[in-house]
Amino acid sequence: MSRLSLFLNVLWAESYALFTEIFRRKHILIMMSLYPYMLLVFILIIGYSVGSRQVFIQRLGVAPEIFFLASGYLLMVVLGSSDDLLWRPLYDDWLGITPYLIISPVPRLYRFLAVPLPRLVIALITGLTSLLPLMIWYYGFYGLIESLAVIVMTLVATIVFVPFIMAVIGVIYTYGKEQWRVLNILRPLLLILLGVYYPRFLMPLGAYIASALVPPSHVVEAVQRLLIGRLDLTYSLMLFGAAIGLFIAYIPAGVYSISLWERNKLKHGVKTE
Amino acid sequence: MKQEVIVAENLVKKYVTKKRKGLLRGEKQVVEALRGVSFKIYRGEIVGLLGPNGAGKTTTVKIISTLLIPDSGDAWVMGHHVVREAKRVREKIGIMLTVEKGFYNKLTGRENLEYFAALYGLSGEERRRRVEYLLKLVGLEELGSSDRLFEEYSLGMKARLGFARALLRDPPVLLLDEPTLGLDPPSSRRIRELVKKLAHEEGKTILYTTHNMFEAEIVCDRILLINKGRIVAEGTPDELKNMIPRLKTINIVVKGDQRVGELIKSLGIEKYEAKPIDGLLSIRINIQKPEEILDPLIKNFVGNGYEIVSLKIEEPTLEDVFIYFAGKTSR
Ligand SMILES: Nc1ncnc2c1ncn2[C@@H]1O[C@H](COP(=O)(O)OP(=O)(O)OP(=O)(O)O)[C@@H](O)[C@H]1O
Ligand SMILES: [Mg+2]
Repeated sequence: MSRLSLFLNVLWAESYALFTEIFRRKHILIMMSLYPYMLLVFILIIGYSVGSRQVFIQRLGVAPEIFFLASGYLLMVVLGSSDDLLWRPLYDDWLGITPYLIISPVPRLYRFLAVPLPRLVIALITGLTSLLPLMIWYYGFYGLIESLAVIVMTLVATIVFVPFIMAVIGVIYTYGKEQWRVLNILRPLLLILLGVYYPRFLMPLGAYIASALVPPSHVVEAVQRLLIGRLDLTYSLMLFGAAIGLFIAYIPAGVYSISLWERNKLKHGVKTE
Repeated sequence: MKQEVIVAENLVKKYVTKKRKGLLRGEKQVVEALRGVSFKIYRGEIVGLLGPNGAGKTTTVKIISTLLIPDSGDAWVMGHHVVREAKRVREKIGIMLTVEKGFYNKLTGRENLEYFAALYGLSGEERRRRVEYLLKLVGLEELGSSDRLFEEYSLGMKARLGFARALLRDPPVLLLDEPTLGLDPPSSRRIRELVKKLAHEEGKTILYTTHNMFEAEIVCDRILLINKGRIVAEGTPDELKNMIPRLKTINIVVKGDQRVGELIKSLGIEKYEAKPIDGLLSIRINIQKPEEILDPLIKNFVGNGYEIVSLKIEEPTLEDVFIYFAGKTSR
């Protein structure tokens, strides 16, 4: 069987499982599509009560609601997908599915790539129905282009994150005894390192370096610079080069880390009860 | 020539667990799950791994399924080593590890099968047809439950679905860990019939674990008796029974003279137990083939003025078999 057909098969399986479940449980669908608007309302309430909108626009050259909605969208999609990935092995274990996955011929990288991809379709739809109309309303044609760019960059950020997350999963679940608790430390850490709400250029050096090692953080910086109108071509190429370079560099680490974790599982016996 | 399909050589597995004792102190516990298990299973054979709870059945199945690495010893499936060539082994096997879990709760039986079929490399029309065929084969279609959510399934339906999954790739080897545990008679019968058909008509090789003697006897061509991590006996169901000397018990209760010794000995029976109960006499005779002496026994008692109050032939239980073999192999 060719590698491509293996990948297409697992992609089909994950998409099928996800969409079947979402359409069956309509409230998830409704929640997902309402989320960005709820976020917007929240941002507006906080924004108007805290500071001056004018000052924000003067300083950054962008309306705060646009800036925060775009950032919120980016964060929701990237962290949502990485969360899905981080939880997935625990969820599969809990359902007793792991042994059947281990004996399947699917390369682990393919499966970890296939998990977030169907979610990106949903992210695309929410982006097109929330961010896009709002930015067109604010900035016209320029808003259309900019919003499409933000959406595409968000999708890229999610995909470049996958091998890094795989590497993390292998390490934390191999060495972390009380499995899911580790996530409570990891998730806020990732949130900070991504630099969405705490821009990178404000970070102390150590955090800055750590952040630079997380592939999507470069895309996050690109999105922020785009929004405040300070992204030129060379710099954006650099940022995307870094993100994609790290993505490729993490693939062997991710695959190795997952195989380490699996090996460790096989030593203690894959849980079946 | 019989073709060796599954070979296990001297498998040893210890589980080390830490038992929490208070906040900081932990106590290491070592469970010797397998203490040198060896066997061979040939093509087209159904071999039962029969043993009580904790005997090491699941551990053995996991090792053969490449889901557990033994501490020492080797095993091969169709010539491929389960540790060094795990990938090749995985292509050849279908597994069923638990009855009640292992699927997505929010998907229907059909959707779950489609999901795993895709993972196992089936696509398009082939996948759809295989899933359809298997749903019919295991009887989920006739129960009308192919399109119900897995979380609504009864144990019997779950087991059928799990069995169907094991067959998705039409593998030559099936490894089934207590596939009928807790099922109602129709479901367990369906699975047992399918197991037999797959082995005897399609030549699949099947390792089947159970702690149910009755089941092992009707399903398996050969039985490996496992206890405390060791294979203590092996053979066809009949061979195993004949290895146990005191196979059946005649329990006869009579009214009459308490001195029955001569009368019983005259039938050529040396070993028996006689106990007076409420003025009656309860006699227990352990014997291989009770039907051979039943007639003379009854005639003898009646002829000598005894009244027969009750007569029972007790089949040996699983426990008898174990007690016998466990006693023989006690460490
Ligand atoms: N992951 C584990 N960690 C520690 N001990 C274990 C583990 N798995 C099994 N054991 C122990 O190893 C022994 C053999 O277990 P195994 O599951 O192979 O038995 P079994 O024959 O399948 O029993 P059952 O009929 O209960 O399923 C038991 O004493 C069990 O408690
Ligand atoms: Mg077991």
